[in-house]
Amino acid sequence: MAKPLQILLVEPETLLRRTVVMTARSLNLAQVHEAASNDTALGMLRSRPYQGAVISVECIGSGSDSHYDLSLVDQLRFGDTGVTNGQTMPIAIMAHQATPQLLNALRERKISRVILKPFRAKVLLEAIAGFAGAPGAAPGLAP
Amino acid sequence: MQVAPIPHNEAERLAALYELLILDTPPEERYDKIVAFAAAEFDVPIVLVSLLDTNRQWFKASVGTDVCETGRDISFCSHAVLQDDIMVVPDTLDDPRFADNPLVAKGPHIRFYAGAPLTMASGLRLGTLCLIDRQPRTLDALDMGILGTLRDLVVMELSNTTGDADG
Repeated sequence: MAKPLQILLVEPETLLRRTVVMTARSLNLAQVHEAASNDTALGMLRSRPYQGAVISVECIGSGSDSHYDLSLVDQLRFGDTGVTNGQTMPIAIMAHQATPQLLNALRERKISRVILKPFRAKVLLEAIAGFAGAPGAAPGLAP
Repeated sequence: MQVAPIPHNEAERLAALYELLILDTPPEERYDKIVAFAAAEFDVPIVLVSLLDTNRQWFKASVGTDVCETGRDISFCSHAVLQDDIMVVPDTLDDPRFADNPLVAKGPHIRFYAGAPLTMASGLRLGTLCLIDRQPRTLDALDMGILGTLRDLVVMELSNTTGDADG
């Protein structure tokens, strides 16, 4: 029997997180580990290998200075984090809105998928199932 | 319309329900959050946490209706608690148990129903977490998994009598 995929879900909303974790387990889709914050997530990423991550990103700042906080993604892709496959790990991003700036930033970071609000557990689970054979690719959009 | 038979363990089932001291209590956020989540997740107009009392089904939490109870004889929940698995009725008009049910023929005009039995650790099924739509539909395996998870979360809350929630 194949070992289940180890996936990290970084999402502050408890009910959505728990629903994804428990459903993935019950359907044998993957072993989804949950983190409510970037700091917790980074510690978890350093502690064991993951085959993919779904990361919720928040818009920070205001007006023309507003931008999505991609700090966790940057630490994985470009940082010296001690995460063995951080530069190549398939990542799906959850964002409220797909701005041209965000999509460009995600292409530069080789993000495989963007999930837009409203965030549904089903869409997250489909993204997780897609990690089974997905290399990092150009961003695709999911409503 | 077919009235559901009484479960063989009805006395134990009711005793377990009454032991929770939950009937006719005010709404609680921990249940309200789950039904709101389910309504958005499945895009259905009505979601209920329904508990099956002697002669009625009473709703601990609901989205899409102001009614707090209906008669047990016309309830879909009384059929759903007869089985372990989620009971799905893709189109009530095609199901002789429900085609002429007043909840189908009149308001809320139920056409689709999916009820996940609230099975406690004892094995007793106290009610359902159910999805209701006014148009026929189906659920795929992922939908069934998600509904099963949300049902498990309701059962966890029912088992957590202190009402502690982790967010």
